[in-house]
Amino acid sequence: MTSAAEITGDSPARPSAAPQSIGRQAWRRLLGNRLSLASLIVVGIYVAVGLFSFTPFVVARIDQPYSADKTYAPPSFWRTLDDGSRAVAPERWFGLDFEGRSVFWRLLYGTRLALLIMVCTCAISISIGSVLGLLAGYFGGWVDDLITWLYSTVSSIPWLLLVIAMAYVLQNIQTMNAGSVQSRIAQFFGGSSTVILALGLTDWVGLCRLIRGEVIKLRDLDFVVAARALGLRRSRILFRHVLPNTFHIILITFSLSSVAYVQAETILAFLGLGITSRPSWGRMIDDSKLELLRGVWWELTAATLAILVLSLALNVLGDALRDALDPKLHGVK
Amino acid sequence: MWAYVVRKVLLSIPILIGIVALTFLLFCVIAPDPAVVYAGKFKSAEQLQAIRHQLGTDVPKWREFVNILTFQFAHSFRYQESVWGLLARKAPVSLAIQVPAFFIELGLQLALALLIASRRGTLLDYGLTVTAVLGMSVPIISLYLAAQWVFGGWLKWFPVAGWSQGFFYALHFAALPIIVSIIGGVGGGVRFYRTIVLEEINADYVRTARAKGVAGREVLFTHVFGNVLIPVLTNTVVVLPLLFTGSLILEQLFQIPGFGALLVDSIHAQDQPVVMFIVYVTSLIYLVMLIVTDILYTLVDPRVTLK
Repeated sequence: MTSAAEITGDSPARPSAAPQSIGRQAWRRLLGNRLSLASLIVVGIYVAVGLFSFTPFVVARIDQPYSADKTYAPPSFWRTLDDGSRAVAPERWFGLDFEGRSVFWRLLYGTRLALLIMVCTCAISISIGSVLGLLAGYFGGWVDDLITWLYSTVSSIPWLLLVIAMAYVLQNIQTMNAGSVQSRIAQFFGGSSTVILALGLTDWVGLCRLIRGEVIKLRDLDFVVAARALGLRRSRILFRHVLPNTFHIILITFSLSSVAYVQAETILAFLGLGITSRPSWGRMIDDSKLELLRGVWWELTAATLAILVLSLALNVLGDALRDALDPKLHGVK
Repeated sequence: MWAYVVRKVLLSIPILIGIVALTFLLFCVIAPDPAVVYAGKFKSAEQLQAIRHQLGTDVPKWREFVNILTFQFAHSFRYQESVWGLLARKAPVSLAIQVPAFFIELGLQLALALLIASRRGTLLDYGLTVTAVLGMSVPIISLYLAAQWVFGGWLKWFPVAGWSQGFFYALHFAALPIIVSIIGGVGGGVRFYRTIVLEEINADYVRTARAKGVAGREVLFTHVFGNVLIPVLTNTVVVLPLLFTGSLILEQLFQIPGFGALLVDSIHAQDQPVVMFIVYVTSLIYLVMLIVTDILYTLVDPRVTLK
């Protein structure tokens, strides 16, 4: 683990060295820990695979049947050619599903949808949560009362139920207006825009609460008072001076709640909400429920492992980020 | 004490209004006309009007708002009966699965948490904690599907899915869902309660008790356990209303005709009155339970004073 000097952030050996920024310190602490470094690499691989699956190379392979009779086949490394010889066949590594489609390529494509869901949902929930939290914490008074009322209301509805209600309504709007701009946007997201909106619009409460608390602490500190005394515009004080000081909360929330979004997508897909025409991981798990009793275990296993590894990596990373960025926890084990 | 309760209840009135407003906004303003959704796009105007009349949506918007506030809901499209009747018919089935599953799960979680916390740092603690974390990272549906396949399809110990009337028939079909539900839910609780038990075990009063010569087991079960029950209580009361809603996934997967499966069916069948009813009523009960939890918390923990 890190030495005492690194933990406290000052380096007594080199008193004249330039002080490091909090971000750089955190980054060093993150790379110094083997487990968090490993999970950072895992997340990096997922991102790379996700970017790769935007290429037509992958898109062309997701709906194509690979077995002659359009039926499932267990995982195999090889493919037997007509003349009896064998060739390496990546499309069969994770088996073929009930329509003879390659589980491997579909899984790769699912990475793209998972990343889209994670990033876009976080973008929505984080911008709502942080702006509302910022306003409530900074201005107080009736603004605070209003925003507190809003998040108390949203948080007193069971989350899954609220997400389901939201997804149900959004899905109906979408099917009612086929051919509109809305449905074209939906197509870009592989039909997951319902999931993204439903999750993003409901999951800002926790972040809002945290940021509000933090901003209440910050607003009377000297640097904010000084900024006010200098006559800076309110928006500049809020977004240039106060918001960056809550950045660690946002980063931790991003890594921890994006896991929850991928998991929630599997539940919504199972319930028939936000069904996509494209293979998301949730859709693959949903598909596998029909095949499982016939002994077709590979589609479920592949999709589950993909989610499991990503969840574990992001959870470890989230915890490590919390340790690295939260000054209160420094040195605490 | 009573002043506190009254204040709590009064403070939740704005939230109650918020829930009504949110339900109204979602289902009566943003959602497309339920008559069009249900009848399809190409019905004639008269047919649509007839369906609207049947649903009671041919009234002004403010009237719909009042209807929600006063618990006047349209009949279900699909079952052609009142949503309250559906609730009375479906909820007992959900409870038959959820109540035993809930109590067995809670007991297991507490027992395991006490066990691994008192053996802190051993292989057992490490192994169970890692298993709990793994269990929480697996998508819940995968876990349910795998367990259904192993116990129902492969080992053939239980029927794969289904439901029947009568106690023993019901037990026959309920056993697997109960087991599966426990497998799926036990991990998170163990991890949560382990932290709480650890906090208590390291407290001063435990050391004092040990120093007085109280046996290790007695310290664990009388001193520590009593204090652990406080977060347990506050953690579980909130979950209680969700029991009668049933588990959406579980009931759908095992084809149990409970309240959770009703919600899923209603989503598929575009049965908007039922979806709205379930969301609204469950939120209200949840709100009530949140208040009850707050009050209970002050009752069981003498350190918390009533203000």
